[in-house]
Amino acid sequence: MTTLEIGIASFPVLLTLIFLRVPIGLAMFLVGLFGLFFATGTFNMGFARLKSETYSTFSSYSLSIIPMFLLMGHFATLGGMSQSLFKAAEAWLGHRKGGVAMSAVGACAGFGAICGSSLATAATMSQVALPELRRYGYAGGFSTATLAAGGTLGILIPPSVVLVIYAILTEQNIAKLFLAAFVPGLLAAVGYMITIALYARIHPDRVGTPRERMPYAQRWRAILDVWPVLTVFLVVVGGIYLGVFTPTEGAAVGALGTGLIAFANGGLTRHSLIESFMTTARSTAMIFFIVLGAAFYNGFLALTQVPQELSNYVVSLGLSPWMVLTVILLIYLILGAVMDSLSMILLTIPIFFPIIANLDFGMTAEEVAIWFGILVLIVVEVGLITPPVGMNLFVINSMDRLTPMVETYKAVMYFVASDIIRTVILVLFPGITLFALRMMY
Amino acid sequence: MHRFMNGLARLMAVLGGLVLTVLIFVICVSVLGRALNTLLHSGPVVAVLGDFAQTLLDTGVGPILGDFELVEAGVAFAIFAFIPFCQITGGHATVDIFTAGLSVRANRFIQMVVDIVFAGVLILIALQLYEGMLSKMQYNETTFLLQFPVWWSYAASLVGAVMAALVGVYIAVVRAGEFFGNRTILAIGGADH
Repeated sequence: MTTLEIGIASFPVLLTLIFLRVPIGLAMFLVGLFGLFFATGTFNMGFARLKSETYSTFSSYSLSIIPMFLLMGHFATLGGMSQSLFKAAEAWLGHRKGGVAMSAVGACAGFGAICGSSLATAATMSQVALPELRRYGYAGGFSTATLAAGGTLGILIPPSVVLVIYAILTEQNIAKLFLAAFVPGLLAAVGYMITIALYARIHPDRVGTPRERMPYAQRWRAILDVWPVLTVFLVVVGGIYLGVFTPTEGAAVGALGTGLIAFANGGLTRHSLIESFMTTARSTAMIFFIVLGAAFYNGFLALTQVPQELSNYVVSLGLSPWMVLTVILLIYLILGAVMDSLSMILLTIPIFFPIIANLDFGMTAEEVAIWFGILVLIVVEVGLITPPVGMNLFVINSMDRLTPMVETYKAVMYFVASDIIRTVILVLFPGITLFALRMMY
Repeated sequence: MHRFMNGLARLMAVLGGLVLTVLIFVICVSVLGRALNTLLHSGPVVAVLGDFAQTLLDTGVGPILGDFELVEAGVAFAIFAFIPFCQITGGHATVDIFTAGLSVRANRFIQMVVDIVFAGVLILIALQLYEGMLSKMQYNETTFLLQFPVWWSYAASLVGAVMAALVGVYIAVVRAGEFFGNRTILAIGGADH
């Protein structure tokens, strides 16, 4: 077997291991290690890399942003900000048809601005919004679907853990990616609200009764109550955009800020602090183990030259770049039905990115990289709400024991449709993603 | 035994969390120092404060020297310290959909094999990290700004790596007990992120 063949043979082996419930990071690590063995005939190279690579991966300054963002998200939850965000959104949207659901989406968008994780956003907002939705007579499946979809805004709207990983894998500027993600994130929120309005027309019996309209004085007061969220967001994301500090510094400032707010609101006790450490520890270790496995696997792949050869092969086929892009995005949609977003990105970007970078979309290399990153971010997030195994659906559904999963499945398809329409728009008009970037830089 | 291991894993996670918190403070102080430093150098401030601006600057107002290096060393320890808790709570990301249809016994078998291999990998990681530390000691490598020996950070990380290997072996033994004894000792949690 040539090394190229070994590289190609590693794909089915890796997928088989993953589908046999081997943890994804471990599977990539093993295939990388044994792949190096088969390609070089000895374990020396793999073992030698291990001497410094675990340490250098775990001590990466740019990756240290991840535990800090995770901690920041937990502090934001403890600070009771979800409550004030939901109230503010309700003051403005609650009187519309489907308004309480729209408020939930609006609050998710707000929470997404200080939280980089989709599941955390979905879970936090559900605690506040699910009881309200029930009180106003919304159907269970529609409520859970709304929150599952709203949760994806946690990752779409910067800061975003997935974008950090993408930026590191493709050596792109995190600040620029965050900036580019902003408009598509807002579009997602608006798209979900339109979806809710349409749903309310199709199924008027499932969206309950609107709340009474609030006077403007009260609406503005509700907005004032979310000042901590606004401040943290403006300082962190603004500071990163303007280059006042590095993304890692921004995450540290954000974690301290949300921590102080949680402390001031009495949400941060010794007990809850320790619980935050525990949850952060678990998610961080999980993410870094996948990152380590991916580093190993991708090192092996690079040695076998599979990514370059594959990329050259795709170019030699002379296909339309748009068709290649469409196929790649479709692969993500399919994979997303069974795999989590981070694993998917770490597994596929080293293979897909060289292909995309080699094609001519009529934009600069950096613009293509950023635009593709945002598109990938969106399609992997669709996976979080796509039946049968969308992670967000499980989390939310487990919080509402009265609603059968099937009801959530049915209602969430409207949001999936909204996601797909948005993806098509963003593919056809790269300018929507890139105009903010072109203005700033 | 489980209480001991669980306590150990939790303790490491809290230690890692505390180190992470310290790093957050270090970064924030550094950012603040840099901001003040820039401010004291700016025209209007110098005009108002005069020589006092320079006096303040002379006290060392500025970013923390080598904050970058502290973060790298600290975060490596934190992440190694986080692994045991992830291991004992089964927090690693997996794809469950294709094995869900298999029998309980088959799933126990898969789980046993996975966790034995996992324990082996964690031991390997700890061993190679130790080797890496030895070579850093041998060449007396120090960090660029703070000039502290690189092996110190390796040694701190090694503590976490050894604990992770220990917990990994314990989990593997538990899973083997579950398969051969045909009973559930430790429930597996799903990934949350």
